[in-house]
Amino acid sequence: MLFESRKQLTLLLLPALLILGALTLYPILSVLVNAFGSVDYASKHYLFVGLDNFRELLDDFFFIAAVKNTFVFTVVASCAQVLLGLWLAVLFHRQFPGRRFALPIIIYPMMLSTLVCSSIWRSWYHYDFGLLNTVLTWLGLPAQEWLFNPDLALYSIALVDTWQWTPMAFLIILAGLQSIPKDISEAAMVDGARPLRAFMHITLPLIQKQVMLAFLLRSIDTFKLFDKVYVMTGGGPGNATETLSMFVYKYGFRFFNLGMASASALVMLLISMAMTLLYARKVMKGGKQ
Amino acid sequence: MRRYLHGLTVWMMVGLFVLPVVWMVATAFKSPGEILNAGARLWPEQISLSAFERLLAGEFPLLIGNTLLIALMATGLSLLVSFFSAYALVRYRFPAKLDGAFLLAVLVIKMMPPIVVATPLYSLINQLGLLNTKLGLVLCYQVYTLPFCIWMLLGFIRDIPLEIEEAAAMDGAHLFKRLGFVVFPLCAPGLVATAIFSMILGWNEFLFSLLFIHTPDKFTIPLYLANFMTEDGTAWGELMAAGLVSSLPMLALAGYMQRFLLRGFSLGLK
Repeated sequence: MLFESRKQLTLLLLPALLILGALTLYPILSVLVNAFGSVDYASKHYLFVGLDNFRELLDDFFFIAAVKNTFVFTVVASCAQVLLGLWLAVLFHRQFPGRRFALPIIIYPMMLSTLVCSSIWRSWYHYDFGLLNTVLTWLGLPAQEWLFNPDLALYSIALVDTWQWTPMAFLIILAGLQSIPKDISEAAMVDGARPLRAFMHITLPLIQKQVMLAFLLRSIDTFKLFDKVYVMTGGGPGNATETLSMFVYKYGFRFFNLGMASASALVMLLISMAMTLLYARKVMKGGKQ
Repeated sequence: MRRYLHGLTVWMMVGLFVLPVVWMVATAFKSPGEILNAGARLWPEQISLSAFERLLAGEFPLLIGNTLLIALMATGLSLLVSFFSAYALVRYRFPAKLDGAFLLAVLVIKMMPPIVVATPLYSLINQLGLLNTKLGLVLCYQVYTLPFCIWMLLGFIRDIPLEIEEAAAMDGAHLFKRLGFVVFPLCAPGLVATAIFSMILGWNEFLFSLLFIHTPDKFTIPLYLANFMTEDGTAWGELMAAGLVSSLPMLALAGYMQRFLLRGFSLGLK
């Protein structure tokens, strides 16, 4: 028998259980408790208030704005990244001169830290000296208030995220394309199917799973949006780029309203959990085939 | 002709994606005067190292050391703990599918927005007296690195054939001997890849360092960049020099990490 005792194996798992228990399970339970209570920050006195915090959230104009912004950002950024990634993957699937060198270069953005990405783009978005407005003026187009126009700011941040993370959607979809047996794609070519038709009817159904996974994975990640907003707009102008993460941060660490912070954190956790379970189901379904 | 058009399109897209990185490198080497006057000129007229000099004269080198130490310690702890647990999860079927449930919970933790646990974590770290310390951050980073390392190592340990271990067991090697002398060397490449990714996670982390570190001499690099950006809007030379220096390891590793990227970023998807 390979394993002398079950005790030994359980022992191996113990350190991980302890760390995760103390640093994640305990905090999550405490969020759960605080979400249904009112906590005095100084005395730590706890009062059970039932669903009051959630009712207050629904009446909170800032919360509604944060939900709306987070939803728009998640959908717009994830869709843009998956579509652009799909196009790039199709381009890279065929041989071209220098392909070997292009692959590591195009993944550069995702190797940079979010803070470095934000600092580059914050400079590019600068109204007077930024590269983007310089180019726009040179083309004879009006300069833009990239981060200070309430109608534009959220999309400016989505552009940064798209630049940074399209390579990841690209890598996932490219892996899907490369797993298609050669004879299938060749058969489509021989049949004389037009490239676009062959792609829509033969290739796309075969990589459907990877496209879905890329979309889910990017949605889970874009949903967290915090760092870019914090350093590029701080949630403004007004609350045009306020996200759920920013909302939790402001209530927890600036207004010291633990009940509201926990209630909104709980909402975030549930949404994120739902997406993660969906993702896990998709991945595992693929594994059994 | 169509072949060339295809190649041209791809390289133009590659150029577009790498342009911000090129701009960062070029701006880091510009003199302060040239940055704002040169308009759209991409490459510096004259290579200037003044941004790097100013950077090195400040607290930046100290902060690099800080961040490196924190990322190393967080990775070391996660790697050790996850090596044991990933092994147990691969080699042993726990009753009532508890192993599957545990893995799913770990995945949920990995994917959840870190801000969710920020307030309770703050009071926990505060009670431990670890606010504004490296050790406090090392502990907090386990929220990211440990779930990541567990999932990543799972795949690498699964690839080790059971027969090798069985042979070792016949020779009388008990569990810890096998772990140290059979499993560990066999998944060393996987451990290295996992360690690099975990280092990157720690090196780039922003939220917890923003919340738990208060004094500038204890800042991590991302926190330093954030502070720099919000305090001085157009000192781009230094900002880009700092960004470049802090990204060099990752840019150098991009080619090597490419084959692990899918495993690393998608957890469970190969």
